[in-house]
Amino acid sequence: MRALRRIGSLLAAAFLACAPAGAQTLNVWHDLGDNGIAWFERMSAEFAKTKPGVTVRSLSFPTDQWFGRVISAVNTDSAPDLIFNNYERVIRIQAQTNRIMDMKPVLEGVADRGFLGEDDLRVATFKDRMIIIPMQRVQMALGVRKSWLDKVGDKFPESWDDVRRVAVKFRDNDPDGNGKADTFGFALQAAKPRDLIHMLDLFTFGSGLRHTLVDPAGKVIIDEPAHAQVLEEFLKTYSGYKFVAPDTVNHSFTEMYQVIEGGRAGMFRVGDWNVRKWDQPNVLGGDFISGPWPKFAAGRDNAVVIGGMRGIAIPENSPNKQLAIEFARFMLTKPAQQASLETIGAAVRKDLDVGVLSERSQFFARAQGKLVAYDFPESIHAWYPELEAAYHRKLLSGITNPPADWKPFIADAAREMRDLVARLAK
Amino acid sequence: MTGAFAQIWPNRVFYLFVLPFAALTILFGVWPILLSIQISFTASASALRAAPSYVGLANYAAVFADPLFIASLSRTLVYTVLAVVANLAFALAVATLLDSTLLERANLFFRLAIFLPVVTPDVAGYVVWRWLFDRSFGAVNAALSALDLPGFGGLSSINTVTASILIAELWHHAGFYMLIFLANLAIRDRALEEAAAIDGATSWQRWRWVVLPQLRPALVINIVYATIQFLKTFTVVVVMTKGGPNDHTNFVSYYAYQLFDQGRYGEATAMATILFALVIGLSLTAYRIGDKAAWR
Repeated sequence: MRALRRIGSLLAAAFLACAPAGAQTLNVWHDLGDNGIAWFERMSAEFAKTKPGVTVRSLSFPTDQWFGRVISAVNTDSAPDLIFNNYERVIRIQAQTNRIMDMKPVLEGVADRGFLGEDDLRVATFKDRMIIIPMQRVQMALGVRKSWLDKVGDKFPESWDDVRRVAVKFRDNDPDGNGKADTFGFALQAAKPRDLIHMLDLFTFGSGLRHTLVDPAGKVIIDEPAHAQVLEEFLKTYSGYKFVAPDTVNHSFTEMYQVIEGGRAGMFRVGDWNVRKWDQPNVLGGDFISGPWPKFAAGRDNAVVIGGMRGIAIPENSPNKQLAIEFARFMLTKPAQQASLETIGAAVRKDLDVGVLSERSQFFARAQGKLVAYDFPESIHAWYPELEAAYHRKLLSGITNPPADWKPFIADAAREMRDLVARLAK
Repeated sequence: MTGAFAQIWPNRVFYLFVLPFAALTILFGVWPILLSIQISFTASASALRAAPSYVGLANYAAVFADPLFIASLSRTLVYTVLAVVANLAFALAVATLLDSTLLERANLFFRLAIFLPVVTPDVAGYVVWRWLFDRSFGAVNAALSALDLPGFGGLSSINTVTASILIAELWHHAGFYMLIFLANLAIRDRALEEAAAIDGATSWQRWRWVVLPQLRPALVINIVYATIQFLKTFTVVVVMTKGGPNDHTNFVSYYAYQLFDQGRYGEATAMATILFALVIGLSLTAYRIGDKAAWR
C-alpha cells in the first residue's frame, strides 16, 4: 500500500512538473474547416510568444451546427471564449441570445487599426453595438473554367451578353470533351432562402447596383428598371435559358460545390476561401480564371463583390474574458493577419506579403478588380430576414413554374414585398 | 398504498428486473418529451437557460398564425395518407404473391430483395434515389429517353416531387410491412380456405372473405406504425429535397428542424408538440378503429 502511494505521489509530481506554470486554454468555435484550424494553430504559436502557457484551441463545426451549438452554449453559460464567423451569422447569435459583447472598446484598445474603413466598421455594427471585430473581407468573383474557354474559343465574359454566349457554348459544345451533353453554363443554388438571394446579391452588386431588395429607408426596389433587368435575366438563368442543371432548385452549397468540383459547370461563384482548395490538382487544379461579375448596363461599373465580413466576437459569459479580449486584439496584428491570408486567403490589413500566394489567390489579396460591398440590410432592418425568406419563396414559385412574361411577375413580387414590409415594419 | 405494496411485494423479483429498464425509459424516453413540451412554453432566447421566461401559449399562437405551418401541416397529412395507403397496398400485394405457391422457387430471393432496403442505411438509400431522379444524369430519365418517353420531373418539379419521395420511401419501408403481413399469413388457418374452396368460392372470394379478415392484426399494426412513421417524415426530405422545390415537401418535422436551426426553440418545440399530439391521436384512433371494425 505504501509503495502504491509513493508511485502515485511520483506520478502526480511528474505531471505537475510537465505542466507549464499558468497554463491556460482559449477555446474558439468557427466553421472554417481545416484551413481555419491551421490558422488558429499558427496564431496560437505566435500568441504564446507574448503569453507563455496560453494555448488557443479552435473547433470547426459545419455552419448549421455552429449556430445551434453557439446559441445553446451561450444560453447555458457554457460558451467558448471566442466565436468566429460572418457578421450576419453573429447577428443571428446576438438576436437569439443578446449576450455578445460590445467589441467597440476592445477595438479602441488597438492602436494600429487604420486599415479598417468606415464600411468595415458599419458591417460590424448591429443595433449600435459592435458585435465583431472585422478580420477577413469576404470577396466573391465570377469564376470561369479556363480550359473550357479555350476549348470553345472564347474569352472571359465581360458583359451579360458575353455570359449568355459563353453559357450556351458551355452547355452545347461539349467543353469537357467527353462526348456527352452533360455540362452546364452555370453552377448556382436555390434550395434555401440565403442560397437563392445570395446568388441574386452577386448578380446585383456585381453589376454595380447598390441594393437587392430594399434600400436603407426600407423601400422595395426590385421593380425599378435597372434592378428589374438584372432580376429578370437572373430568373431566366434558372429557367428559360437552361443554363443551370435542372435540379438546381434543390441545390444548396454542398450540391453546388459538387457541380463545380465535379466538372459539370463552366461558370460559378469563386470566393477567396475557395481558391486554396480549387488550386489543388485533384479538385480544379487551378483551371479557372476569376474576374468581376458581368456588366449589365453601359453606365454602370461591374465589380467583384465584398459579400460579407468575417470577424471575432466574445460572448458576455466567456470563461476567460480578459484573455479573450487580448487575443481578439492580437488577431489584428500583422503576423496573425499574414497567417490569415496564407491559410484562409483573406484578411483586412493592407500591408501583408501577398507574394507567397498563388496567382488566383493574389487576385483577391491584391484586390485587383473593382470592389463593391453588400449593403447589409439585416444590420439596419431587424425584419429583413423574414422579408428575404418571403422573397425567396416568391422567386422560387416563379422558377418552378416560369411565366411567359417575367415583367408582370416582378411587378407582382414588388407589390407583395411592399405589403409585407408595411406589416413587418409596424 | 398498502394495496399497491401488497401487490408488488410478492412479485418483487420481477419488479427488480424491470426497474433498470423503467428508469432508462423515463430518463431517455419520457423526460426529453416533457422537457420539449416545457420549452414550447418559453421564450426562445431564454429557452435553454436555468430560469427560462415563460410565455404561456404565445409560441402555439405564433405557430397557428403562420400560414407556412398550416400549409406544412396539411401537406404532411396528405402525404401520410398517400404513403400509408401506397406502402400497405404494395406490401400486402407482395406478401400475398410471396405466400402463394406461384413463387415457390424464387421465394427467398424476392423476400431478400424486398427486405434488404429496410436494413440499408436510409441516408445512403436516399442519396442513391436522388441521383436516380437527377434530371441531368439520373438513370430514370436516361431510361425514359432511351424509350423515347417524355422526361420525368423528379425532385425539381412541383408536380412530381411528392411522387418521387413516395417511391423512395416505398422502397425503403415496404419490406418491413411485408414481413409483418407474411408472419400473419403464415399463422392463418388454411382449413378455412379449403372449406371455402369446397363450397365453390373463387380465388378472389377466398382472399377477400377468408384470408383478408385473418390479416386484421397485421393490418392494424402496420397502419398504426406507418401512420407514426410517415407523419414524422424527415430524413428523405433532408437528403433529397430540403423541403423544396418551393416548400412542396416542407413537412412539419423538417419545418420544425429549420426553426431549431434558427434558434427559434419555442416555436420549433411547439410544432414538435403539435406533431406529437397528432401522432398519438391519429395512431390511437387508427388502432381503435382497426381493433373494433367488423371485418366480415
